[in-house]
Amino acid sequence: MSDNDNTERVERFKAEVAAMHLRDPATGLDRLLVRLGVAGLVAGPCFSIAAWFIAHGTRNPLQQRDAIVVGLIGVTLAVVGGALFVKGAMAGFLRFWMARLCYEQGAQADRLAAALTGRTSPEAAEAAAAAASDGRAPAEAETAAGDKDASRTG
Amino acid sequence: MTALGPAPAPAPPAGDPVPAPPLVELRGVRAAYGTIEVLHGVDLSLMPGEVLAVLGPNGAGKTTMLNVLAGLHPLSGGDVFVAGRRTNGASAADLARVGLCLVPEGRGIFPNLTVRENLRMAAHAGHDPRAVEEAAYERFPRLAQRRRQLAGTLSGGEQQMLALARGLATDPAVLVLDELSMGLAPLVVEELYGQVAELARRGVSILVVEQFARVVLGVADRAAIMLGGRVTDVGAPDEIESKLSAAYLGG
Repeated sequence: MSDNDNTERVERFKAEVAAMHLRDPATGLDRLLVRLGVAGLVAGPCFSIAAWFIAHGTRNPLQQRDAIVVGLIGVTLAVVGGALFVKGAMAGFLRFWMARLCYEQGAQADRLAAALTGRTSPEAAEAAAAAASDGRAPAEAETAAGDKDASRTG
Repeated sequence: MTALGPAPAPAPPAGDPVPAPPLVELRGVRAAYGTIEVLHGVDLSLMPGEVLAVLGPNGAGKTTMLNVLAGLHPLSGGDVFVAGRRTNGASAADLARVGLCLVPEGRGIFPNLTVRENLRMAAHAGHDPRAVEEAAYERFPRLAQRRRQLAGTLSGGEQQMLALARGLATDPAVLVLDELSMGLAPLVVEELYGQVAELARRGVSILVVEQFARVVLGVADRAAIMLGGRVTDVGAPDEIESKLSAAYLGG
């Protein structure tokens, strides 16, 4: 890549950043949606319970139909509120869970590979190779690699 | 916080050449994990085509700073400017799409996918997956021999090569590297930093966080020391090297 190519890439980068659609974080939309979700989750059942009492306390079919509408509004509020809450509150948790899962899978794959090949960890093998080129004892290098592994997982 | 907008540029004194604006700039960046603040006002800038090394002991906040820059961690104060535009709150996906690429600590590859599949995952819209693969194999011939192997069964060095190749597949304008040398033998580290130096020669702006000071200072144009959530020193690599032992040992 020549200097011209790089200048071109930087200019393209600047243009693309300028064209990005950014949301102002000051609006706190995510937090607002979570709060709305919680409000819906609380208000929805309240509406439904109130509707039951309204319907139970009258023999007037018109009032009972109104109560049914209020009850359905309550159910809708609870469902929508639940969805908003799950979207806002669980997204962060699920992100960490997924990252954790990826890490665990990586560690599991390392263990499996080591067990199948009957060798030490790749880091230890590399350290041993490096030690051989430096003229150190492989055991010494493996200890060093083991220390590194321990510090990584610790 | 006010509305998003361009960074206000201070007017240079009359007669002086106008310096190029930084490609990436952090101003008074604060970030926290819950109630614990780990970045206490970080100021740092990366110029176009520059390699900037950030050094510091464990717990200094280096990785958090990179995560904030890449849109993976929210700011609790301050501003991040990319190409002159405030990007507070921009998603990591959007930043990666425009060309700010983070190669995370711990490699971040998919262990249950093959090398080829990992590379293809990196090829987003507008990039030909075959071209991405060929470029990666040309840069790291060892990956070509392992193309059908599960990434989780590669050695540490090969995994890091794959992570770097996957990052480069997005044709980044800014490459952000976190602890490239973690858990690797010195020979492998030197090989990887050889590739970083090659990228720097091609003019990619690189911000690298590292504890392996000797190798990274050989590649960097500027270096910074980070301690306790703040950037305490920025300067030429030689100058920073002389201050490193005091920074690490508290002398």
